[in-house]
Amino acid sequence: MIDFNKFGIIFKREYLTRVTSKAYILTTLLAPLIFLGIFLIPIAVTLLSPDTQRVVALVDETEVIAPRMIEINPNQFVVFPDLTLEEIRTKVTTGELNGFVVIDEEVLDGTRTPELIYGGTGGVGFVADVRSALRTSIRDEKLDRAEVTEEIRGIMAERVSLTTRVLTETGEEEQDTSALFIVGIILGMIMYTAMFVYGGIVMRGVIEEKTSRIVEVIVSSVRPFELLMGKVMGVGALAVTQFAFWILAIAGISAASTPILLYFFGSRVSEAAGSSDTQAAMATIESELPFTIPEIGFGLILGFIIFFVLGYLMYSALFAAVGSALESETENQQLTLVVSLPIIIPIFFLSPVSTDPDSTLAFVLSMIPLFSPIIMPVRMAIMNVPLWEVALAITLMAATFIALIWLSARIYRVGILMYGKSASLRELARWVRYS
Amino acid sequence: MIEVRNIAKRYGSFTAVENVSFNVEKGRIFGVLGPNGAGKTTTIRMINYITVPDEGEVIINGKPAGPESQKMIGYLPEERGLYKKMKVGEQLIYLARLKGMSDYDARKSLKYWLDRFKASDWTKKKLGELSKGQQQKIQFISTIAHDPEICIFDEPFSGLDPINSELLREVIIELNQKGKTILFATHRMEQVEQMCDDICLFNQGNIILTGPLGDIKRSLGKNTVKIEFSGDGSFIDRLDNVRINNRSSNYAEIRLLDGVTEQDILREAISHVDLTHFEFVQPSLNEIFITTVNDASARKSIQEQIA
Repeated sequence: MIDFNKFGIIFKREYLTRVTSKAYILTTLLAPLIFLGIFLIPIAVTLLSPDTQRVVALVDETEVIAPRMIEINPNQFVVFPDLTLEEIRTKVTTGELNGFVVIDEEVLDGTRTPELIYGGTGGVGFVADVRSALRTSIRDEKLDRAEVTEEIRGIMAERVSLTTRVLTETGEEEQDTSALFIVGIILGMIMYTAMFVYGGIVMRGVIEEKTSRIVEVIVSSVRPFELLMGKVMGVGALAVTQFAFWILAIAGISAASTPILLYFFGSRVSEAAGSSDTQAAMATIESELPFTIPEIGFGLILGFIIFFVLGYLMYSALFAAVGSALESETENQQLTLVVSLPIIIPIFFLSPVSTDPDSTLAFVLSMIPLFSPIIMPVRMAIMNVPLWEVALAITLMAATFIALIWLSARIYRVGILMYGKSASLRELARWVRYS
Repeated sequence: MIEVRNIAKRYGSFTAVENVSFNVEKGRIFGVLGPNGAGKTTTIRMINYITVPDEGEVIINGKPAGPESQKMIGYLPEERGLYKKMKVGEQLIYLARLKGMSDYDARKSLKYWLDRFKASDWTKKKLGELSKGQQQKIQFISTIAHDPEICIFDEPFSGLDPINSELLREVIIELNQKGKTILFATHRMEQVEQMCDDICLFNQGNIILTGPLGDIKRSLGKNTVKIEFSGDGSFIDRLDNVRINNRSSNYAEIRLLDGVTEQDILREAISHVDLTHFEFVQPSLNEIFITTVNDASARKSIQEQIA
């Protein structure tokens, strides 16, 4: 059926010419650095953000709120009893002050919303600080005026928190799933990008061989099917190489991150944790981060690889068939859209699927073979998908791949020898029926 | 060496070739002629086992065309092309290995041919860096590097300058002298006349004429007058029952039709111009080509009208 010697020669060429190209080497090496950046920058920002104190002038007609706010943060709030509103406004425009708030009885009553007039810099955190200080001060003032008892004050200050525990079939296991939501979305986006990138490489390869006319020379030596499989597998090996490198690099970076963080931020961390214990220090760092670093299990990585490989095989077969019908990459967007749509559609469902990965919608979407590669890893990241569901999805994808490679090979062997113009979808359907 | 038996190939409702049969004997140079779209390339692709016939079969060296016969054939397609971004040397080895050669044999054979075509310096260059003519040479080397028993050239001389054309012609003749079977498709008649032993003529998916070139010419007999002259050649326009080919101000090929004899033409010519050359010959291939194609097309359209 297939000559493995020739397949091997083609596979080798497809793999080697690409794996040694400058663009490939560059993207393979740079991606982990970008990941490192994404990983380290928030930490660095959280830990090293310079305490540039932004100063807000309080124009307080009530004369009771301003002292409370200054008490909350003496560095941030000031009063200028001698200056007029106009003079304070000038100080903001010249940059001496970062902003000002006018507080009067109406604000205290709640009949007027106070306004922070500021220079436009400082961002959300700055505004939130001012809002929080103002809110606390007004609440306390009102509580004082109402002569509320300590007990009620205590109730007002109470905070209810919620932790989550996942109950699995094997027993119970404590895990916070809110962070896994992010992992799911990221996995979905990686799959989406990978299908387009590697499918696109296959398609461009087919178009290149067709437009340069070398394909006629090649198929006078090998069967079109052998050429197609050699190309699909060669580019697939390229993708696997790249991902294997990235997974190792990221694992390495993650493993190295603790010492790196301790090295850079050691003093601050031990200070914060109040001890020199590494474990406790790390816990402190994580608690200071705006997100938690979720644990990615071996099962998820394995699942990701299986769905990635099967997804790639299905889409690359489709992209190859489309490529064989095109005269140039820019021609006939209709055809490229037809194969792109099944990759794009699941992206719209990433959010509902990741918020409720156990829903009927999520289940059905993850069983549609062309959607599985993107939807299933998202579900697997967030919840424990029953094994039979994973197995069923894999079986359906494998069956679809066999059907698609058969269909694509029939289109491909006709398409690569058709010169002159790009074919329409209707012509592709006709090619399938040619003997 | 190549037996084509009653092959037909259809694409949907379009019939590319039908009822096509011919034999190419070992060691001969076989010309496949015909207008564009007559089915030449379709037939060549079936001989190369690039596509398979819907009906009939192609027998190469006693066995049906298949992966084994592909190794015996070197194919130069009409639409040339190699990998633009791949280095010449790597590319040639790749193509030779796909034809079943070992790495060692491929290198040895390529060294010979690269030297022969004075192309050894280009192996480290990417194909795209070479000129059109240089690329053509590389393409030709890729066709014959695996020492094929059968060489199939589709329009081998198109796009070549006269020097390279001559080099290519020498190599083709040399291959033929080594006993290789050559099949080439073209519509350049003078090359076929110079080089081919046998021909077949395609028209609208059918073969309308096939056999040894000499036999075909003889069977049609002498029916053409070639004259060279000085003076006013306008008398030629007034001749009845003739067709004029290859006319210039002092030369004409006159095909005799319906009862006109060469003597009639001689008398007319003498009385109007100074005749410097007069020859009564077999028709040129060009003439055969045009007449046969026109007759066949006419017959076909009459048949269609009757049907």
